[in-house]
Amino acid sequence: MAPMELIIELILMPLVAFVVGMMMVLMMRRIAAKLQRRIGPPFFQPLYDIVKLHSKRTQVSHGLIHDIGIVMAMGGYIAAETLLPVPGMTGIAEKGGIITLLYLMMIPSLGLALGVGQCANPNGSIGIARALTAMLAYDIPLVIVIFGVAYAAGTTNLVDIIAVQQAGGFETWGAVQMPVLAIAGLIAMHASLGKQPFEIYIAPAEIATGPMVEMSGKYLGGLFVMQCFQLYTTSVLYVSLFLGGGTTWFDFLLKSFLVLAIPVSIAYLFPRYRTEDLLRLMWKWPVMLGLIGVAFVL
Amino acid sequence: MTLTPLDELFLYSGITVLVALLLGRRLPAGWMVTILYGIQLLALMKMAPLGYGGEPISSALTFEVMGQSLSWRFDALSWYFALITLGSALLSSWYACGEWEQRFRQSGGNLWLFHLAMTLNVFSMLILLASGDLLSLFIGWELVSWAGFLLMAMAGGVATKAAMRYITYAMAGAMAIFGGIALVYVSAGSLQYEAILTAASQMSTAHLWMLVILFGAGFGIKMGLMPFHLWQAPAYAETPGPGSAFLGAISSRMGLFAILLVLVKLFGIVNIDSLKIPFTLIDARDLLAWIAVFTIIFPTFTAMKQNDARQLLAWHGIGQGGYMLLGLVVADAMGAAGGLLHVFNHATYQAALFMAVTAVIHRTGTADLNKLGGLVVRMPLTFMVLLVGIIGLAGLPPMNGFVSKWLVYRSLLNEGMPLLFVAAVIGTLGTILSVYKLIHNIFLGQLRVEHDNVKEAPWSMMIPMLILTAIIFITGLLPGIPLAWVASVQQAVGLPVPDYTLGGVESASGSLDMIWVIGVLFAGFGIGALIFYFAGGRSKRVHQLDNYAGGHFLTADVRYQYSDNFYAGLMHLIGGWYRGSFLWLEQSVKSLVEFLSLGMQGLYRRANAEFYLLSTALFVIAWVVI
Repeated sequence: MAPMELIIELILMPLVAFVVGMMMVLMMRRIAAKLQRRIGPPFFQPLYDIVKLHSKRTQVSHGLIHDIGIVMAMGGYIAAETLLPVPGMTGIAEKGGIITLLYLMMIPSLGLALGVGQCANPNGSIGIARALTAMLAYDIPLVIVIFGVAYAAGTTNLVDIIAVQQAGGFETWGAVQMPVLAIAGLIAMHASLGKQPFEIYIAPAEIATGPMVEMSGKYLGGLFVMQCFQLYTTSVLYVSLFLGGGTTWFDFLLKSFLVLAIPVSIAYLFPRYRTEDLLRLMWKWPVMLGLIGVAFVL
Repeated sequence: MTLTPLDELFLYSGITVLVALLLGRRLPAGWMVTILYGIQLLALMKMAPLGYGGEPISSALTFEVMGQSLSWRFDALSWYFALITLGSALLSSWYACGEWEQRFRQSGGNLWLFHLAMTLNVFSMLILLASGDLLSLFIGWELVSWAGFLLMAMAGGVATKAAMRYITYAMAGAMAIFGGIALVYVSAGSLQYEAILTAASQMSTAHLWMLVILFGAGFGIKMGLMPFHLWQAPAYAETPGPGSAFLGAISSRMGLFAILLVLVKLFGIVNIDSLKIPFTLIDARDLLAWIAVFTIIFPTFTAMKQNDARQLLAWHGIGQGGYMLLGLVVADAMGAAGGLLHVFNHATYQAALFMAVTAVIHRTGTADLNKLGGLVVRMPLTFMVLLVGIIGLAGLPPMNGFVSKWLVYRSLLNEGMPLLFVAAVIGTLGTILSVYKLIHNIFLGQLRVEHDNVKEAPWSMMIPMLILTAIIFITGLLPGIPLAWVASVQQAVGLPVPDYTLGGVESASGSLDMIWVIGVLFAGFGIGALIFYFAGGRSKRVHQLDNYAGGHFLTADVRYQYSDNFYAGLMHLIGGWYRGSFLWLEQSVKSLVEFLSLGMQGLYRRANAEFYLLSTALFVIAWVVI
């Protein structure tokens, strides 16, 4: 690949992810509104929110690490997007592979954790302790699922994993070949989004929104951007693993939005689980399904 | 007699011991010893071709003992481990010079003994690494055990107790190894490596089983493999700061070195693979892999519960050893490379972490995770060192620990071992939780009033830490540098070699190029910083007490920090799973031994001694006559 072409891809991929991510936030809010019989926000509301938060006059910083944490939270996802192939663009997906992507996706959480830590607010620290515990909960079924998919495809290269699925049309999709793994993956993915019923680490009424307690202005704006990337990354990763990726932008985006709509719709129908219940749920059902799924693959 | 480069190395190492012994009471002793470590490292560099596939170098020194010739030589394996040993000794010793030394002496520490113990450790490790046959291996092994004991026990009190526990384990291990060596001698008729290599392929299954168990247990004790792990964390944590950095970096890897040499190189991983356990589906190799995985998981989750920073790190040291063994037991090109690379990577970040924690103790006087907090504003550079170290320990990009763990994961994926793979990832996730608690409770959160005047660590401590930090990052960015040494080690012990590049590894089933990954990651951070600093309004720094407290006002005397029982939700679920079963096991063995010895003592004291003497004499005569 020509270097110029690669550089353009590396710039475009995060940009696309950001725009699509904002639309996903919009979809999430619209679904919530539908379920709660409200009208919901206008089309550009996510963009308005980001601009508003960045231009607020009150911007409270608790120190350099607080700032760096937000930078890491955004930057980690920006980097992760270049490892996630989209139709027509592969970026550096072949130089990292899915294990690298999985670990790169932990960098934003680590950055956020550091930033919140410096805020010197126990509500935030409790939130982070819960968020990391939640990560321990959902990442275990997630790696089982990733193991199954990578082993079945014989590679950790996401480009090849997608190519294998596209080779025989619908029949060779991961979800058709490995339905049990696909279900386990969906549950784990839902938990990784941190939406109800798995939003114990935000718990507004209990720990004052946890990690967000000392975030204001552009700090909250950075987290908003991070959420856009997070929604995009999670759903596109799922599409790449189980739904054959995308051949055209149309079916790629359709699949991504549809996949995301499932956990989001469920989220607004449920209250929240306690931390230990989340662990128990994650370690029981998706792990069991995942292991059964892997047993089919092996 | 001409001196080979190896003899020169021994000579310098011996001189270092002598200097520490004779001049150790003078104040510049620390600097002299440090410079001498540097000279040793230079002598090692003269043998650098070994790290790139060079021919082994023998020592001119040989002995003849009871028909057995004792010899010493360096090959790629020895060179690689010696490099890590000398590197960590140099930096730990450098760290100890200056302010730490003065404080140590003022608080009643024996500096002479400290330097002597360190130099003896290095000297004995070099002897062990150079061993050219099983007998010299055993001699080196014993030297390393006792030198380690000296360093661990010198702090007195709790440390001595921990060291006594260590030496009890070590002696049991030495017995097992000695038994193994005797068994090898019976079957091979020689203790030379070449003779064993030919004999190993013809050994019976029962024989090989015995050897795997004896050597595996003996060397495994040093590595802290389950279920022999209990001694390690307290022993390392109670050693004086720079000493624990050195021990944590390399000491227990001597066990891995010996496992590599004896089980992998001499007996061959293929032979071990053929040892089936009756009535189960697993063989000896699976057994080792599962031991490795349990060694990853249990100590990691024990570390998470520690409230002392040094204990926490020491427990992680045990857990990380599991990754090394796991990679080696999988024994394909990537797994073995990952296991070996992890030895180097672990040494770098573990030393940096122990040093950072020691710097915190130096400034605040405590390592209790419930009595610290908020130090990042007072010790920012130490914070950075600890941050880089924990990212390495947790195995996240962009630090070096990620590369070695990635290789281990890949090998488990390639070989289709889902349970081991998941277990390895559980270990990593547990590590992330645990190290966040470490950095949060020391550096983040509320700064305590009594730490308001704390200063940054002194430069004598800071420079070695920064050097290690640079190594952790650079070998993460360019893993090809250590992978070249690892590749020649793999060749030397007869393992397949992966297709490595400067930035990682090439493979048809998924490559890794850290230069790109890290480049993109930092570009991402750069864009994030641009958005944050230029697209947003100006932020205003506030005092830490200017904080949300549910409507209350915070004052300096209010402790507003979350540190104890950090993962309360997790502990609600898994808290009951910590049963201390291994402690119970250790206790019961101890009680059994006490009971038996009491019984023996009673028998001996109560009965008529003359009668015993007479009957023994009669028995001996009868035995001789018949």
